[in-house]
Amino acid sequence: MLATLLTAVIDGLEGALVRVEVDVASGLPICHIVGLPDASLSEARERVRSAIRNSGFEYPARRITVNLAPAGRRKHGAAYDVAIAVGILVASGQIRTSGEPCALLGELSLGGAIQPVAGVLPMVATLARSGVRRVGVPTANLVEASLVAGIEVMPLAGLDDAARAIAGPRGRRAAAAARAPTVAVSGSPGVQAQQSMTLVEPGSCVDLSEVRGQSTARWALEVALVGGHSLLLVGPPGAGKTLLASAIPGLLPPLSDSEALEVAVVRSVAGLLDPSARCWRERPFRAPHHTSSYAALVGGGPRLAPGEVSLAHHGVLFLDELAEFDRDVLEALRQPLEEGSVVVGRAQGSVRFPAHVQLVAAMNPCRCGYLGDPDRPCRCPPGDPERYVRRISGPVLDRLDLRVEMPRVRPAALLLDPRPESSAGVAARVAEARLVGAERNGGRSNAWLSGPEVQRLCGLDGRARGRLTEIAEVRGLSARGVHRLLRVARSVADLAGRAVVDEPAILAAADLRDPAVEAEPGLAA
Amino acid sequence: MIGVGPDGPLGPVEEERGAGAPWRRWEPARAHAATRAGEHSGGRPAWAAGSLADERFAWVVLATVEGVGDRTLAALCTTHGSARRALRLAARNRLPARVHDERGGTRALPAGVRAGIARAAADPGARLRELGDGGIWTLTLLDPDYPARLLGIPDPPAVLFGTGAARALRTRAAVAVVGTRRPTPAARVAAARCAAELCHAGVAVISGLAVGIDGAAHAAALEAGGTTVAVIGSGHRRPGPRAHRGLVQRIVATGGAVVGELPPAAHATHGTYPRRNRIISGLADAVIVIEAPLRSGALITAGLALEHGRPLWVQAGQPHQPASAGCRVLLEETEARPYEGVEKVLAALPLANRSRDAATARPATTGFEAGLALGGEERRLATIIRRGPVTSDDLAMLTGIAPGELAGLLTLLELRGLVRVLGPLLLPAGPLLVGSAPSVTQP
Repeated sequence: MLATLLTAVIDGLEGALVRVEVDVASGLPICHIVGLPDASLSEARERVRSAIRNSGFEYPARRITVNLAPAGRRKHGAAYDVAIAVGILVASGQIRTSGEPCALLGELSLGGAIQPVAGVLPMVATLARSGVRRVGVPTANLVEASLVAGIEVMPLAGLDDAARAIAGPRGRRAAAAARAPTVAVSGSPGVQAQQSMTLVEPGSCVDLSEVRGQSTARWALEVALVGGHSLLLVGPPGAGKTLLASAIPGLLPPLSDSEALEVAVVRSVAGLLDPSARCWRERPFRAPHHTSSYAALVGGGPRLAPGEVSLAHHGVLFLDELAEFDRDVLEALRQPLEEGSVVVGRAQGSVRFPAHVQLVAAMNPCRCGYLGDPDRPCRCPPGDPERYVRRISGPVLDRLDLRVEMPRVRPAALLLDPRPESSAGVAARVAEARLVGAERNGGRSNAWLSGPEVQRLCGLDGRARGRLTEIAEVRGLSARGVHRLLRVARSVADLAGRAVVDEPAILAAADLRDPAVEAEPGLAA
Repeated sequence: MIGVGPDGPLGPVEEERGAGAPWRRWEPARAHAATRAGEHSGGRPAWAAGSLADERFAWVVLATVEGVGDRTLAALCTTHGSARRALRLAARNRLPARVHDERGGTRALPAGVRAGIARAAADPGARLRELGDGGIWTLTLLDPDYPARLLGIPDPPAVLFGTGAARALRTRAAVAVVGTRRPTPAARVAAARCAAELCHAGVAVISGLAVGIDGAAHAAALEAGGTTVAVIGSGHRRPGPRAHRGLVQRIVATGGAVVGELPPAAHATHGTYPRRNRIISGLADAVIVIEAPLRSGALITAGLALEHGRPLWVQAGQPHQPASAGCRVLLEETEARPYEGVEKVLAALPLANRSRDAATARPATTGFEAGLALGGEERRLATIIRRGPVTSDDLAMLTGIAPGELAGLLTLLELRGLVRVLGPLLLPAGPLLVGSAPSVTQP
């Protein structure tokens, strides 16, 4: 007897419909899985056999053939376990199906319990688009699956739940009782604007009041967060670069609905979506280690998984010890920083991952870390500090908007500084300024404005224009440098609550150094 | 200024030259006189009747040969009577393999040096053309305009190669400002301030073109519109560290000079820098050491300055700071005087009254704000920055100005050339460097 069930596969960030056909025929007791399965999928055989037995069903001692169609597409992972097991049960006549098309997702444990899988959100969205009306998902993936409108989602705890779910209305009612209420939103995939999901739990993030001294760097960080500008923090070990960066999650405003959905899709594919969706609107903050590989940062690998730069989509990618990163890895960040997305190419075709990130990087000024210390001389051999900075290529430096020097905090500042402002106040200021900017810019942050746009949106008066010209001449700025300065000045003005970019805003923005402009040669170490 | 009469180095200077150097046995003036008299001509009047210019030419050609230093040049001249004769022999491949040494014996010329001399002798004109193409001039001990101060040291270089303006070596007064290649930012500012004030007093600044203190001194001298001389320990094709290529161009373009005793193609080696230090001390009337740890090259210059009888001024630095440990040793164990600003240094210089007046009438004494029209807060910031390197966080704490506003004010100060940025530090620049203390006492 033949049974057909539906499930889905992840390709990049998109799902694709997969039909699971199970045929149970007379013959030697053996199970074949065909349709380009990978090793983890071939092992489904063993999981399915044990799960069926341990859930009180009988594993048929007959010839079982499982076909995953379309046969030409490679399939991997354990999300097909449930569909295969239920297919075997249907084909061997142990359970009945109502005949309606029904999709099942989930991995089986040997005891028959259904484990969560990655990528449920885009898979369910694909199924909904393909006209599937019902889908069973692991209980832990219920919340993300419920984000998709136009499809009935059933939580599956065990194989018997799955059997009930496809059996008919009675089983479905039982399943529905265990499910959280969903709100249908028009459009597919839609997003539920549920209030319960707007919670942003700051969790273990550092509060700004823990950062002593560093008033300039704190202000620069505010400006960078207002405009989404990429930021390079330079300072000796112990200056507080990492601490300051760790406070960023608590300063970022929550994601909007559409942003949250895009972020959730990436997180879902990476298996990082919190089952309770508590951090649904929390902006991503990713801090990959400097030993990260190319594929880990940019995306790729055998299954074309999104990399850190995509996981930080609509959020912040923090690269600590920038100079220690592999050169090729950093070069690969040029495209995402410029275009907001990254294309990972393979012989079989390419996948585009979203990567609209704000880059925050930190590095030491030189190998010994003391270049520019007020009291200690730098111990590096002459010329070495320049070499150290040159490890980061010009094009990469060129994509960093601001360079902020963080000096070693003097003991006096550490002990005498009154308790600095906490994250809450700064976050409110940043959120307000971002809102103003987004309204003016049509939803984009200042960092992503084109040259002509920023010129138009700055509304420079004569004095500001004159000052800008003077700075450009003194510093030898290129056209790109002038536009960069204007974007930063726009954010400075937004932060200060000024509608036009005036002279003080230009001057203040100019103090935040352009990392691409080299230091004066006469001051070489 | 020892031993130099109004006639220049060819005058009655021999007796006062230092003892123990090769020059004791071989005096250029005497050699020159001998050549003129044909004493050493060996019965070949055809070239013995050459002029002083010919001998100078031969010196320069020999000096361009890699491996021919003062010692070899002296040995060749004493052995063959004149450089011209040695060159002539080499051109015919008949240069003897052995030369007289300083102890009265003989020594072998290294084969490579002999071959090099032969090559140079084959087409001596090409050597001069090469120098000319590189914009390099030469000064030899035979020249009347050889820097007088340099003649006062025991072993002045026989041939100096230079670029830029040769007259920069003959300023009325010159002071060497030297120190470590890895200075603390405060010492960098001190060096810059020192150089700027010396320049305002009309004194040339001599230094070694190294990174660190040397570079800060040269750069500040240029900025103050003064004359600065860089003494290099390598050939002119690779003058100093790569980071200072731009500095070299600026020195040459603004009437300063870059000089060294090595031929243009020579590489710096272990020994060339300590040798070069005698020229730094020799070209200067006084030597100032700003910051030097133990085992710093600046200590060699300081030792040479004492040997040469130059007044030595040493900045004490912070107690217990290893960066100035060498300075403290100098102050404790030698007759070095503590450097506390250029006033005392200037007072001890053989400056004419006119330039001393110029020193006292520096614009600095009227205040750095003169002609700058600084706003109230800008002036406050400038006053703090002027005292030494500070960070913008320090300024925020001292003045209570909000960081956003502070950033704008700092940009303004930078645009006016009052502040220079080094990493997180703000260093005083331009007018802020000058006039930190009450100026020179009136005569």
